[in-house]
Amino acid sequence: MRSGLSQTLSGGLLAGIGALSILAFAASSPAFAASNCIKGDRKPPYKVGWANIYSVPTWMKQTEGTITKEVADLKKQGVVKDLIITDAQGNANTQIQQIQSMIDSNLDAIVVDAGSSTALDRVISDACDKGIAVVNFDSLVDTDKLTAKLNTDSNEWGRQAAQWMVDRLGGKGKIIIMNGPAGVSVSDDRRKGAQPVLDANKGIQVLTETNTEYNVAPAQEAMTSLLFSNPDIDGVLSLGGALSAGALLAFDRQGHDPVPITGENYRQFLELWKKEGVKGWATMQPNWLGALAVYTAVQALNGKDVPAYVKVPLPVIDDSNIGSYLDRSKDFPADGYIYSDFDTALFDKLLAQK
Amino acid sequence: MSTLSSREPLFWAVQRQRNRGVIGLFVVVIAFLALYAYLFPGLFTLGGFSKFTQNWFPLALVAMAQTLLMMMGGISLAIGPLVSLGAVIAATVMGTAFGVTGAIVAVLLAGLVVGGITGAIVSYLRLPAIIVTLAGSFIIGGIALIILPRPGGVIPAGFSDFLAGHTPAAFGLLVVIVILWKLYLATPLGLGIYAAGDNPIGAFRSGVAVNRVRIATYALSGLLTTLAGLFVAAQTGSGDPVIGTPFTLNSIAAAVLGGVSFLGGRGTMRGALAGSLLLSVMINVMFFLGFPPVAQYIAQGLIIVGAVAIPQFTGRWRRS
Repeated sequence: MRSGLSQTLSGGLLAGIGALSILAFAASSPAFAASNCIKGDRKPPYKVGWANIYSVPTWMKQTEGTITKEVADLKKQGVVKDLIITDAQGNANTQIQQIQSMIDSNLDAIVVDAGSSTALDRVISDACDKGIAVVNFDSLVDTDKLTAKLNTDSNEWGRQAAQWMVDRLGGKGKIIIMNGPAGVSVSDDRRKGAQPVLDANKGIQVLTETNTEYNVAPAQEAMTSLLFSNPDIDGVLSLGGALSAGALLAFDRQGHDPVPITGENYRQFLELWKKEGVKGWATMQPNWLGALAVYTAVQALNGKDVPAYVKVPLPVIDDSNIGSYLDRSKDFPADGYIYSDFDTALFDKLLAQK
Repeated sequence: MSTLSSREPLFWAVQRQRNRGVIGLFVVVIAFLALYAYLFPGLFTLGGFSKFTQNWFPLALVAMAQTLLMMMGGISLAIGPLVSLGAVIAATVMGTAFGVTGAIVAVLLAGLVVGGITGAIVSYLRLPAIIVTLAGSFIIGGIALIILPRPGGVIPAGFSDFLAGHTPAAFGLLVVIVILWKLYLATPLGLGIYAAGDNPIGAFRSGVAVNRVRIATYALSGLLTTLAGLFVAAQTGSGDPVIGTPFTLNSIAAAVLGGVSFLGGRGTMRGALAGSLLLSVMINVMFFLGFPPVAQYIAQGLIIVGAVAIPQFTGRWRRS
């Protein structure tokens, strides 16, 4: 009660101070912009840069698809003029160079999927100093000197997956954990998120773990050899979609009955899940984060106050709604990700959260 | 007196002969630089020049490091991981009591030691450099991941701003390194690089300490590589245990573009530097021309083939 009251009080106080400072600011500068980096001197139509780390993976191609679609919509409204796309071919040093070129050519907004969580910090803060709206999504940078960061929570990803597995197995059973590559932050974070759940449920025994690239073939190979040494498995806690597809293929080839499995919205996994009649759970890194990034940058440039960090809730796929995803599968590449629907209303809702 | 006057023309004759193979490349590089300057006139401002040369600098260093080895008939597939190692040592040591100076010493020592050990294994155990450095790349990459499992560490802002701020300090450093290389080439160890690469047995019989030359060259190459890592750490303000990976292939590409032979004994540092500059300026030119990514892949391949082919054609044309 007390803490609630004091929160209300301090909240009211803060709001008061905020209102005062806004008044003061508005009086001194008519072009008031609330978002980070925005100086209010850039006018539509804007030139937008999309600094991709690597354009070849299917996830990236689909993400680029959502970006170009969003830009096409914004072009129709007359707020965006150009979209300039770069591909650093996996090289963080090249990405620095390309973002520097975007600064040099005075783009108004840069959306970036980072090749390294630290390497881009300085060039991004240089862009911010120039009043460029920088929005970072998916693979995030450490610096906070940018307009906004958008992402789902990888820890939460792992936690929810582990919790589903524990519930499914009734708190008791032998599982194998499949991870992405070691030393990659997404992979590490998902695994870390799962740990507290595993610690709290001692009945779950982790037989072994794999670390492979997020590809079907190496995951299948790893699972095949594990099935030889550990035929007695109750569940597969897979922390990546292609990994889950590889695991199910390995079970299938070995003639082993599939066990409950977690994963991601990878089309092949969803199809195998349905076909094999497995008990499954999946979430996703929505490809429309790219579209949301462009939308956020434009909103910020238009003077709207966008949050510095937008935590995008994880959409969940389970046995109850997998059908609705598979119904749309023909619109997605065979090795792609079937993402949830998105529209401006959803984006506005996400940007309204504080 | 007479020896001096006869030595001078010989020096220039040698230089002319060495330049012959790379003149086509120089023309291509200058054309690209001119095009870039036309597309981005900001290149002529201090800030623009500084940023551009900073993005080229680490590639220039690793191209030199690779060229040193290739001229001697060696090669290193561990360049990338060694760049990463330099970066993570810099980012972890700078935050400790040893400070910036301690970190610079540690980074340079690491390069000398790793390079020296590689050189010793290649020379005394007579194992192929490609195998030794392939194995080395896994070991070094692993050590980098142990030192700093995730990107992070600390680089003081002052150090970053000094090396990679809005001044051409990196370019100045490169000029110094090139002058040092010229001086080194005048020493017995430096002269031995070409000799040991061209004909190791002949060089040995003529009194070149081939093994010592090899170890010194590998150590120097390691030094240049970790220095690139130090710079990348300064440029990015942090350490990243896998940031160097693409440098392995790019260092070889720059050297080969620059006319350095895989077989040893042939090639020039100026060629390798021009090769690395071409790889770097190409990225910016394609950006300002507005090439879509798919076209960039193709254009990149065509430019590289072109840069290698043009000198061949001009050479044939000159002979006929």
